[in-house]
Amino acid sequence: MAIEFDRSIIGSEFDRTVFDPVTAEEAREYAAASTESSAAEGVTSPTFVVRLRGRRFMPANLPDLGRMGFDAGKDIEFGVAVRVGDVLTAVSTVHDIYEKTGRSGTMKFLVLRTTVTNQRAEQVAVIDQKMMFR
Amino acid sequence: MILDLHTHSEASEDSRAPVETYLKWLQRKRDVLPIDGIVLTEHRQWNPAVDYRGLEDEYGLLILRGAEVETDYGHVLIYGVNDDIARRFDFANVRLPAQELIPAVARMGGIALPCHPGRPTIGLCEHYESKPPLDGVIAVEALNGGSRRGENERVQAVIDTYGYKAFGGSDSHLVSFIGICATEFDDEIRNVEGLVDRLRHGRYRPVDFRDRLKQGA
Repeated sequence: MAIEFDRSIIGSEFDRTVFDPVTAEEAREYAAASTESSAAEGVTSPTFVVRLRGRRFMPANLPDLGRMGFDAGKDIEFGVAVRVGDVLTAVSTVHDIYEKTGRSGTMKFLVLRTTVTNQRAEQVAVIDQKMMFR
Repeated sequence: MILDLHTHSEASEDSRAPVETYLKWLQRKRDVLPIDGIVLTEHRQWNPAVDYRGLEDEYGLLILRGAEVETDYGHVLIYGVNDDIARRFDFANVRLPAQELIPAVARMGGIALPCHPGRPTIGLCEHYESKPPLDGVIAVEALNGGSRRGENERVQAVIDTYGYKAFGGSDSHLVSFIGICATEFDDEIRNVEGLVDRLRHGRYRPVDFRDRLKQGA
């Protein structure tokens, strides 16, 4: 038997945020802070999506995974470029919960998936945020 | 014949290595890594639908599949996974009972072998200090490419005490680690049934290519 929890939480949406249109100033500020250059005028740096913050960071009905652990990294699959003026929507779901054992003992992982689309329903990015609990 | 018996591709959550990129790397490093094939042993999972025959034909390398599961005696590699084994054991369970798993896998046509035995917490050696030895262990991974200093050395005492055979694997999670440690078999192996048979009855030994790789890089 793997980690016990109500599996109906997997795939459940816990946040949907529609952001204001991307401004040229935001694109410039991000490029300066990240030292990434834009591919073209009016297009943001590729990793611009990581600055987006939804209204809710964590789902409300998580099983007990132990005390808060740490950020265990992000996987980002990039889609179409973000352009100034785009209206982005970020939808966050619980993607996976699993256990693994390593040199230091048993760890529990929570994976939250955020899918970002633009006003044309084109996929801008899929961000998998992993968190480790112990 | 030389096979890397312990590898992880991007199907494992902690690896970013595509299978085809492993094969390209092995082709490119053929002079220093004389590997004839690899066994993908993804963490805590078995996907019966995966088929690498097209890549085998394209690259001329044997690609077999197994799984790495987690037990109360540490991590164990299973070769010859079939529907019976996958139905009998929940591979996502990180507390599988090793003493139940090893003979059951053998009865169902596979073989289950402890990997990185010298590693703290998830290696056989530490568990043998506080629990009885397991029945039915044929071999242990005496050489693991991901082990830290001293972890592989710790295994020899267990091999000497219990008469286990020894094999090797890279435990690669990154492309450039594929094949750095492997197993040399006296016999040819063409499929996973042959691998299980040779691991059980054949002659083999771990081989370490790390020095050759450094010199040839």
